[in-house]
Amino acid sequence: MFSKLSINFLFVIFFLVSCSSMNVTEETMYSGDVKTVQASSVNNENISYDSKAMFANATVYFDFDKTNLTSKSLQTLKSVANALNDNPDLDVVLAGHADERGTREYNLALGQRRAEAVSDYLVLNGIKKDRITVKSFGEERPISLGQDEESYSKNRRVEIN
Amino acid sequence: MKKLLIVLIFSSFVSSELVLEITQGTDDPYRVAILPFKGDKKLSSDIENIVINNLKRSGEFTVFIAADLLSVPKNEEEIVFNDFRILNIDYLVLGNINNGDVFYEVYDIKKGLKIRSSTVFGIPNKIRQLAHYVTDGIYEEITGIKGIAATKILYVTQSDKYSLVVADSDGENEQILLESSEPIISPSWSPDSKKVAYVSFETGMAKVFIQNIATGEREVVVENSSQISSPAWSPDGRFLSLTLYQDGNAEIYILNLSNKNLTRLTNHYSIDTESTWSPKGSKIMFTSGRSGSPQLYELDLRKSNSKPKRITFDGNYNAKGSYLPDNQGIIFVHRSSTNFQIALKYFNENFIRPLTVSQMDESPSISPNGNVIVYSIKDGETGLLAGVTLSGAKFRLPSNRGSVREPSWSGFLR
Repeated sequence: MFSKLSINFLFVIFFLVSCSSMNVTEETMYSGDVKTVQASSVNNENISYDSKAMFANATVYFDFDKTNLTSKSLQTLKSVANALNDNPDLDVVLAGHADERGTREYNLALGQRRAEAVSDYLVLNGIKKDRITVKSFGEERPISLGQDEESYSKNRRVEIN
Repeated sequence: MKKLLIVLIFSSFVSSELVLEITQGTDDPYRVAILPFKGDKKLSSDIENIVINNLKRSGEFTVFIAADLLSVPKNEEEIVFNDFRILNIDYLVLGNINNGDVFYEVYDIKKGLKIRSSTVFGIPNKIRQLAHYVTDGIYEEITGIKGIAATKILYVTQSDKYSLVVADSDGENEQILLESSEPIISPSWSPDSKKVAYVSFETGMAKVFIQNIATGEREVVVENSSQISSPAWSPDGRFLSLTLYQDGNAEIYILNLSNKNLTRLTNHYSIDTESTWSPKGSKIMFTSGRSGSPQLYELDLRKSNSKPKRITFDGNYNAKGSYLPDNQGIIFVHRSSTNFQIALKYFNENFIRPLTVSQMDESPSISPNGNVIVYSIKDGETGLLAGVTLSGAKFRLPSNRGSVREPSWSGFLR
């Protein structure tokens, strides 16, 4: 699968100025060939944490461009914190997400801040920071593909696993 | 530079064929006659078509073909300059193809003179590239500006998997650099266009990779346990600016690629990301949420303890900026009410110029000669690439690879 191709920047131009100021040029092309690589992905989603069953699909949602926890989210997180306090051996992964509006990198950072907001709440409620992994998928993993507020609101979320 | 008055005519989207939203009307584009190249008929017609499409896409040319002309010279001796002057044609291109090499000449009709005589030595099975070289020679001779037909565009596609793809500047000749089951974002070229940097989620978390295009060799640029994103090369290729999340928040750092030292640039509790370098590498522009909405800021790297200076004030979302190659202004994603548009702001003007009109325009990347911006648009749930010249001409780029986004323009390759 690794073919021996290379880009040859063979590039020669001779500019000869003739008496009539005409440009005379000669050039050789470069090949521009590339090699294809397959990424082997570590699929963390398939790792079955014991905690997963307990918090199965626990998800909290956010307002547009906001990272603060809503009162509804706080209720959900209270039971998550209780479960973690009752099971001190369990770790938790917080994955933040954004809707598709705005730039991808800004949305990646927004998803991270949402996950950090959830993390901060859990830490305040007695969960040790080293039990929590925080990450973001930005707008890359939408739940709903529509281009309306109903879809967008489902995508602005933190998934707790 | 000649200015264009724009009338857009939309043609329907045909897969795998360039869709031009043709500009016409004009003050005065250059009027050029391209005659069929002598030699192999099929080859000649393929090359002629690619050259004509390239010139039209620039928005700076009206192209005449044999059927439009009063006389069709086969060589220099047969040229009747007056037949072209009557049609107000400015330039004439004659050429021939021999053993895969192209020889072409450009004539100035007003002066009645040959102004260019060029040979491009071909390599087997690279007809498109050959036509792009010819286009750039013609373009440079007539406009005095370096052409971009022979440059490349890097972008991400998503179908059943994610691919990092490189294609010719007209969207054709797609070649895959990386395939992954996990998202790929933020691809960008090294200044010498031999490597690319990008963000891959293949480890389960955003990480920045550098990959050699020709060999496929790749590496993670910083090893730590948090996510890393938004790579941008310094103009000299020695540094990479990045967004690191190890402080619990998005902060911009500069990575020295030879000794791997990291220097922190920003320190604020709000989001700082999407860093980019000025053409001479003296400044870094980035997106920050510190004012309450995403806005663009600049840091002067020549001063120690330089404070970020806000540079966008109109609109409630200004992000993903990049500098024009001549450092006279910036392009960025702009939202004033609900639509995300690509916008241009010159430093010597106190207003911004929206360049596009759709609802979800993103990821602007400018050509190395500063004349054309490629960006991503949404057509329903599918992403497409589109282009706009700074004079306002628009076009779309085809891809057969599903949803397309995040284009990044290479440097000059010729």
